[in-house]
Amino acid sequence: MYALEIESITKRFGDFYAVKKLSLKIPKGTVYGLLGPNGAGKTTTIRMVMNIIIPDEGSIKVLERSMDEEMKERIGYLPEDRGLYPKMKVGELLVFLAELKGLTGANARKEIDFWLERFDLSAWKMKKVEELSRGMQQKLQFIVTVIHQPELIILDEPFGGLDPVNTKLLKDVMLEMKRKGRTIVFSTHRMEQVEMICDNICLINKAERVLEGNLSQIKKRYGKNTIVLNYDGDASFIRSFPEVEKIDDYGKFMEIKLKERSDTQALLQNLVGKISINKYEVKEPSLNAIFIEKVGGKGVEDEKDTVSH
Amino acid sequence: MRKILSVIKREYIQIVRTKGFIIGTILGPVLMAAILVVPIVVASMTVEKQETIGVADLSREIFLDLDKKLGEKEYMLKDGFRRYVLKKFERPPVGSIDELKKELNAKVLNKELSAYILIPEHVLGDEAAVSAVQEAGSRDNDVEYVSQHTSDFEKLGSLNNALNSVIIEKRLKREGLDPEKISQFIQRVRLKPIKVTKKGEEEDTMGTFMVSYFLALIIYMAIFIYGSVIMRGVIEEKSSRVIEVILSSMRPFQLMLGKILGIGAVGLTQFSVWAVFGLAATSYSKSFIPAGAEISLVSIPTYVFIYFVVFFILGYFLYATFYAAVGSLVNSEKEAQQLVMPITMFLILPLLLLIFVIRSPDSGLSVFLSLFPLFTPIIMMLRIAVLLPPFVQIGASIVLLILTVLLMTWLAAKIYRVGVLMYGKPPKFAEIVRWIRYK
Repeated sequence: MYALEIESITKRFGDFYAVKKLSLKIPKGTVYGLLGPNGAGKTTTIRMVMNIIIPDEGSIKVLERSMDEEMKERIGYLPEDRGLYPKMKVGELLVFLAELKGLTGANARKEIDFWLERFDLSAWKMKKVEELSRGMQQKLQFIVTVIHQPELIILDEPFGGLDPVNTKLLKDVMLEMKRKGRTIVFSTHRMEQVEMICDNICLINKAERVLEGNLSQIKKRYGKNTIVLNYDGDASFIRSFPEVEKIDDYGKFMEIKLKERSDTQALLQNLVGKISINKYEVKEPSLNAIFIEKVGGKGVEDEKDTVSH
Repeated sequence: MRKILSVIKREYIQIVRTKGFIIGTILGPVLMAAILVVPIVVASMTVEKQETIGVADLSREIFLDLDKKLGEKEYMLKDGFRRYVLKKFERPPVGSIDELKKELNAKVLNKELSAYILIPEHVLGDEAAVSAVQEAGSRDNDVEYVSQHTSDFEKLGSLNNALNSVIIEKRLKREGLDPEKISQFIQRVRLKPIKVTKKGEEEDTMGTFMVSYFLALIIYMAIFIYGSVIMRGVIEEKSSRVIEVILSSMRPFQLMLGKILGIGAVGLTQFSVWAVFGLAATSYSKSFIPAGAEISLVSIPTYVFIYFVVFFILGYFLYATFYAAVGSLVNSEKEAQQLVMPITMFLILPLLLLIFVIRSPDSGLSVFLSLFPLFTPIIMMLRIAVLLPPFVQIGASIVLLILTVLLMTWLAAKIYRVGVLMYGKPPKFAEIVRWIRYK
C-alpha cells in the first residue's frame, strides 16, 4: 500500500532539467524525507505531485489513483512560499480555504474551532491575518494544511523560519498525524531533523535521485566505520593518520570516517594524552555525512530561480 | 464549479465590504452631480453690487441712450437699484485722447471708477468713414472697456448687449429704418433634428449623441477600473505568497475565472447602484428642464440596452483576461505600469475615435473599427446607438469578439499558470511565448 508512487517523472524548463526520471514510492503511514541541496528539484517534484506543474513525462499515483484535481482534497500541502490573505479575518480565511478543500458548513466550523483552540488562536478568530504576529501566522498556516483531515500531508521545508516553539508544535502535529495512519512527506536540507523523524528518505541532487530507501538500512549500508569525537585542544594531527579517509571538523566536535576495516581502538590509543577527549563513539555515519559525500558539498543554487526558466 | 463559486464569493465579499467600495459607490454619483451642479449654483450666487462706470463718448451720441438702456429692469440689481451708474467724461477741448485715457486710468486704479468705456468717434459711422479712420492708422472702431478686472464675462456680456442694442438701433434709425421690423426680419429659424425609426418620428437634438457617448464611456470605465482591480488582486496573491496555497486546492484557471467573475459581479453591483441613482436623478431633474430646452430626451430602443449588456460583458471578459495575465507576470504594481500600457492604448484609441464614429457611423473605417475585436465593445456599441448597422455586421462582430475572448482566455490562462509561481525579474516576451508551450 503506497500513499504516493512516482514513476519516472521528468520536467524541463527550456533546456534546463528541473527533475529527471525521478521515481519513488512512499508507503502509507510513514514519514518520508525528500532531501537535497537548494535547487535540486524538491519543490518542482512536490508541485508536480500537487498537480500545480504538469510533468513532461512519467506518472504520479496518489493514494492508489492517478493524480487529478479531485485528489487535491485528500492532500494537505504546506508550500515553501507560505502566505495567507493579509486582509481577511482569520475565521473567514479558514472557512474559505476549507471550502476549497471540500469541507463546508457545520463540519468546517467544528474543525476550525477545534484547531484554533488547539493552537491557542481562538481569541484571534475575528482579527485580520495581518494583525497576527509572525509565529501566530505560522500556526494558522499549519491549520490551513491539516484542517480537512488529509490522508497525505506534503510539507515543503516545513521548519524553515520557524521559532523553536513552533518547530516543536509542528513536529508534535506531524507525529500525531503519523499515529493516525496519515502519510507525511516533507522536503528539507536540514539533516538532523530527518534523522529524528523520517522512516524513509530520498536524496535528490541536480534533478536526479541519488539515494532512496529506508533510513536505517541506508545507514547500515555505510557501515560502522565512523567516529564521533567531542574534544578540546588541537586535533589537526589526526588528518595525517593513514586509516583516516575523511574528516568533518567543527572545532570541538569531529566526525571521522575511517577506511574499511580500520581499527577503531588503535585510533583511540593514538589520541589519548594528545587532546582532551569528552566523548569517543563508534557509529554509523550521520545523514549529514552521507549527504555531503553524495552531493559533494556543491551545487548550492537558489531554488526559486530554478522553478521556471 | 463549487470551488469557482467559493472564489467568486470571496472576491465579491472582500471588495464590497471595503470602505473604498462603499464610499466610491455612494460618493461617485454625488461627485458627478456636484461637478455638474455646483458651478451653476456658485455662478448664480455671485454678489452683484452697484458700480460706477465712466463713459467717454467721443461720438457724443451714445451716452444718453446707453444711460437709459441701463436703467431698464433687466440691468437692475435684485433690490431695484441701478447696477451701473454712468458718469460722463468729456474730451477736453484741446487735449488728446491719450491724455483723457491717462486721467481715466488713474481713476480706475484709485477705485474712483470700477471701469470706463471709451466709445470711438465714428462708432455710428458708415463703412467708408470707419475704414478711413482705420487707414489713417489711428485706433480701430471698437469700444474699449478698461478696468482692473476684466474676467467677469457675465458683466462684459450684459454691457456688450446694452451697447450693441443702442448702437444698432441708432444706426438703423439714421438710415430711416424701423428697428422693430428689422429685428423681426432677421429672426433666425432653427434646424430641428428629427430621428425617424420604424416606430416613427422623434425629435432628437442631442439625445442620441449623449446616450451613445455615455454608453461607450461606461464600458470603457468598467473595463479600466475593474481590470485594474483584477490585476491588483493577482499581484496581491503573488506578493503575499498565498497563491500556492490556493493552487494546492484548485487549477490556476479556476482561480483566474473565479476572480474575473467575482470582480465582474462587484462591477455590476456598483453600476446597478449608479443606474438607480441616475434614473432617480433624471426623473427628478425632468421637472427642472424648462419646456423647449435645447436637450430633448430621446427614447432609447430596448435593443440598445440588450446589446449594451452583451458588449459590456464580452468587453469586460476580453480585457479582464489581459489584466489577469499582466498581474501574473509582475511582482508589484509599479512593475505592472509598463506592461499595462498596450492594454490602456487599445482602450483609449476608441475613445479618440468616438466623435468620428458618431458623425459617420456607416463609413468604411467605422465598420472596420467596429469589427476589430479589441475595439468592438466600444465602437460597435456606439454604432448601434447612433444608427443600427445591418445585423450581419453586428453578428460578425460578436462572433469575432467571442472567438477573441476564448483565445485570450486560453492564452492568459497559460501565462497566468506559469506567471503566478514566478518571482524575480519580469520575463521577456520570448520567455512568455515559451511558457505558452509548456505542458
